[in-house]
Amino acid sequence: MSSMKATSQSAGKTYWRSLNELAETPEYRNILEREFPENAAEMKDPVTRREFLSLMGASAALAGLTGCRKPMDYIVPYVNQPEEVVPGIPLEYASTMPLGEEAYGLVVTANEGRPTKIEGNAQHPDTQGAANSFMLASILNLYDPDRTRRTQKNGVVEAGVAGWPAFVGAWAPLKASLAANGGSGLAVLSESLCSPTAARVIREFQAAFPQAKWVTYEPVSNENIYAGVNAATGAARRPLYHFDKADVVLALDCDFLLMESGNVRHAKEFSRRRRVKNRQDSMNRVYAVEGVYSLTGGVADHRLRLRSTQIGAFAAALARELEQQGLNVAGADAVGSAGGGIDPKWLKAAAQDLRRAGSKGLVVAGRRQPAAVHALACSINAALGATGTTVTYVEPRDSFLSDRNGLQQLVADINGGSVDTLVVLGGDPVYNAPADLDFAAAMKKVKTSIQLSPLADATSRLATWHIPQSHFLESWGDARAADGSLSVTQPLIAPLHESRSIIEFVHFLATGEDLSVLAASSATVEAGAVGNGGTSMDLVKTTWQEILGASGFAGKWRRVLHDGILSDSAYAKVAARIEADGLSDFLRSNPVGDGSGTGMEIVFQASPSVLDGRYGNNGWMQELPDTVTKLTWDNAALLSPATAAALGVRSEDVLQLSLGGRQVELPAWIVPGHADETVTVELGYGQNLGRVSEGAGASVYTLRTSQDPDMAVGVQIEKTGRTYALAGTQDHHSMKQRALLRETTLEEYRRTGEFHPELVHAPHHRNMWKAHDYSEGYQWGMAIDLTTCIGCNACTLACQSENNIPVVGKAQVKKGREMHWIRVDRYFKGDVDDPEMRYQPVPCMHCENAPCEQVCPVAATVHDREGLNVMVYNRCIGTRYCANNCPFKVRRFNFFNYTKTTPELRKMGNNPDVTVRSRGVMEKCTYCVQRINRAKIRAKQEDRGVRDGEIQTACQQACPVDAIFFGDINGNNGTTEVQRQKASDRNYQMLEEFNLRVRTSYLGEVRNPNPELHGT
Amino acid sequence: MAQIFSKWTNHLPHIVLLGVIFGGVSSVAFVWYYFSPSYLEVGYRPTQPVPYSHKLHAGDLGIDCRYCHTSIERSQEANIPPTQTCMNCHTTILPDSDRLAPIRESFATGKPIQWVRVHMLPEYAYFPHNVHLRAGIGCASCHGNVAAMEEVEQKRPLSMGWCLDCHRNPDMHLRPIDQITNMTWEPPSDQLKFAERVKKEKNLQPPEDCSACHR
Repeated sequence: MSSMKATSQSAGKTYWRSLNELAETPEYRNILEREFPENAAEMKDPVTRREFLSLMGASAALAGLTGCRKPMDYIVPYVNQPEEVVPGIPLEYASTMPLGEEAYGLVVTANEGRPTKIEGNAQHPDTQGAANSFMLASILNLYDPDRTRRTQKNGVVEAGVAGWPAFVGAWAPLKASLAANGGSGLAVLSESLCSPTAARVIREFQAAFPQAKWVTYEPVSNENIYAGVNAATGAARRPLYHFDKADVVLALDCDFLLMESGNVRHAKEFSRRRRVKNRQDSMNRVYAVEGVYSLTGGVADHRLRLRSTQIGAFAAALARELEQQGLNVAGADAVGSAGGGIDPKWLKAAAQDLRRAGSKGLVVAGRRQPAAVHALACSINAALGATGTTVTYVEPRDSFLSDRNGLQQLVADINGGSVDTLVVLGGDPVYNAPADLDFAAAMKKVKTSIQLSPLADATSRLATWHIPQSHFLESWGDARAADGSLSVTQPLIAPLHESRSIIEFVHFLATGEDLSVLAASSATVEAGAVGNGGTSMDLVKTTWQEILGASGFAGKWRRVLHDGILSDSAYAKVAARIEADGLSDFLRSNPVGDGSGTGMEIVFQASPSVLDGRYGNNGWMQELPDTVTKLTWDNAALLSPATAAALGVRSEDVLQLSLGGRQVELPAWIVPGHADETVTVELGYGQNLGRVSEGAGASVYTLRTSQDPDMAVGVQIEKTGRTYALAGTQDHHSMKQRALLRETTLEEYRRTGEFHPELVHAPHHRNMWKAHDYSEGYQWGMAIDLTTCIGCNACTLACQSENNIPVVGKAQVKKGREMHWIRVDRYFKGDVDDPEMRYQPVPCMHCENAPCEQVCPVAATVHDREGLNVMVYNRCIGTRYCANNCPFKVRRFNFFNYTKTTPELRKMGNNPDVTVRSRGVMEKCTYCVQRINRAKIRAKQEDRGVRDGEIQTACQQACPVDAIFFGDINGNNGTTEVQRQKASDRNYQMLEEFNLRVRTSYLGEVRNPNPELHGT
Repeated sequence: MAQIFSKWTNHLPHIVLLGVIFGGVSSVAFVWYYFSPSYLEVGYRPTQPVPYSHKLHAGDLGIDCRYCHTSIERSQEANIPPTQTCMNCHTTILPDSDRLAPIRESFATGKPIQWVRVHMLPEYAYFPHNVHLRAGIGCASCHGNVAAMEEVEQKRPLSMGWCLDCHRNPDMHLRPIDQITNMTWEPPSDQLKFAERVKKEKNLQPPEDCSACHR
């Protein structure tokens, strides 16, 4: 570490991406100066050069034989064409994606019956037209070739017996015997559900088996939040935050912009108060207190680095500080005095700011913080007067929420022998239940275990029966948004496999009636299922008949299906009054601690890539660089630079973490800004679900206990002496020390309105080539607002989904060959132990004087008359000169035929409007030229010009903070939004000094630090 | 001492040179002509699973193209009609014909007919039908006089150069919208004037950019 020196720049701002860059290590210089790391261009794997030549020889010989005949291509029309289907015109349907407690309203695009793209539904309160990466990537789960296709008994599809009917046959006698004694001995372990129809079929189930147990468990849930609000207000209510009304936000270990419930809604509403249109505008201020660097911490104007176990002490100190400043904070009397480690100046300034904001202040706490912290946050919000403005409370209905104690009780019951039939609905408890419960051993004691899940996971391998679970794009259902608004999940495709959804399955277990999305097949009828010709739509309709009323039902039902939301169906807001006595008692019996504890702390957090493990077999998510660490394909033990130095650990050293007699081995990764004496591990890795998840990371659920599911003190770290290569992208596509990012503070911006013009010396240039005339017709351009950008990666994933971008695998990412067309550069700024963080999304800039075009020997990259820098795949011969000459490093090369082995099933999800690229071809961002062309043709058909906002690029459409603007910069039909943005005094071009005349410009970042703390 | 090489070998370099030049020119010419889409593609006439006659239906009976190919004006794709469209008439007309057996079978079993694609563009080229029809390009401009074909065959090379020829100068191919499905339409004597007018009216600027067709 001693060799580290700050790299300086004319303006004194220091941005760096990695510790290697800061220290200018040889590894970093190597990456910087070569386009790809050393030896990356040589073919090492997966095919050696020799193998490659022999393969080429063979395929050339085969080509010689078959090339003489014209290949036959077939057109297969419908037999009866559905009225609404017109080949070539995609259809859009509203639907809902359930994800635990969450419900994301979607608009799904289907091409001839194949769902190909997911967008947010503008009318749905939880998505508001935007999307996060989990929504966007879920389409890949539908086409996952590793999904189980048939019902399995003891891990195999029984020979000679059809899978599902075999289960149907086996269930009938079991059901009869269970029903005879009221269902005692039957237990259900379900994932979180928040759906009226699920609630109804569960009532059916409970009527059929009154003695049966129903337990809900999620490895990552809001349980602590409910418990905290319960302690403070006397009922387990759900807090709804309204960031669009908040001037000052304090986040206590709370990544509300990415990883907490409601993140898309939060980001959308947050951006409305974050956006700065002009110098008169005001913006919100964010304080973050956290140990693990999160996206929210990166956005925050002030971040206090504190161990996760000290956050409680901070909350207590804040409560008391506010009380000292004259507010009446209930429960402040019940918390002890603050220990060391909390900067009193910081605390005081934050408290004053919150107090001044009053009802426009907001304190939010993260789901992994204990209930006491949530209770305090709730009480502080009430004291500020924020309850009712920035935070409201609702009482969830139709919800089955995670209950850790319930799971513990269930395992005890199983071990006690009182459960002989166990039904597992979704989820993978053998993998993700707390380690001390030893769910696997318990499950083996159950006589019959039945599991419904999409993939053959750890639980499936132990289950007597494994039944494939339908994806939400192939099932009927409904859901409630966080605020209670009702929406319907409708299938866009018939189930690809012999699968059932949770509501179909529970209904079958309860009644024996086997309903599916398709009308019952004769096979199941023969096997004894009742099957009256109905479908599972009837299950949902029955529920909705109660909701919508019988009169005019058909019309209302169609309206709901069309809109994707039932208007005015939100819960009534409840007046959550703080019960001071109860709260004080609770805080006394559940102390938040004084923050003085020592010893190495371990923090468990859900992964922004694979979540709790649900996305473990999703290639897009595995290859999506982590928002902070920029790691792909693996989890790691995250350490601060100081802690790593104290332990003598370098990144990629394999560590053995021991906690309570359990061990796990993980490679280390040093994260600047991480709290000292803390190791953070991400959940969800180390599964064996199929070809993608295999070998990706290690499971840390094996360290997680039911007592300390979120964080624990006392973990031991030992070096094993081995190293493990991690594929991080933080140094890839680096653009050296240039003034790429420009930022200022709100104060300075108001005063000067300038963005460090001294950073760039842009002399008057003369063009070497005759300039094109771009004064006529559409001229496309983009502006990216760095002030609102939160770095969430939704753009990267939306682009991947829209443009058929391949997944290349860990070995290729390690060589810098990831294919993402828009990358999110993450910079650190300042002190290595406690730096600030900045984000900058970088797509192709579409330069008018494009350096790539000037060096292409075959004119495979050229300009079109609308200013697009277009890439012509069929002309490209793969010299890679263009990528070498691109100062923004946005060109991506197909080193191998990454799409050659794409399974047929997966190909169904491809966008038919975008060419699938082959080996040896360069590719890059096209500004979604397929969307431009579609809009232009549509406008032509209607004899009009393209309207402003009619073309949205995929990244723009997904962006939850509306940071991306795209449109005609000529403004043929009146001033366009992108023109207005580009006219801002914050507008700047990256690398303006090169005279590239780029089409993608940035709006400089404005931060809003507290003047009282600024400069400390 | 006798010469090792006789005198005629002095001409050998010339002969070789000539041979190389001739060989070079002829192989270029060979590839130029025989590898071109106009040689390889034009005249492609695969056998279809059902011996459907465009000459009978579209020519002799005069059924409009759009009775079957319904989506051409709305969509980029020109659809092949579903079996249902055939059965609209053939439940009453020739209901027992042997030649129609595959149609009836398809209708009964729900298994679609696999027609062989005649006009094949590479997968990286996107051709929108709707916007071409809107501009006033007739079916016959690209497909030839289909109404005269017993079995459909490719009449034009559909090569990029051929596309660009028309994009650079579409004047002789623009027709009034009501004539687009007319297979025997000939440009009238005042065609150039008509083209000039219609280009202005519809703001036609056929793109020559790569991005127009390659995405």
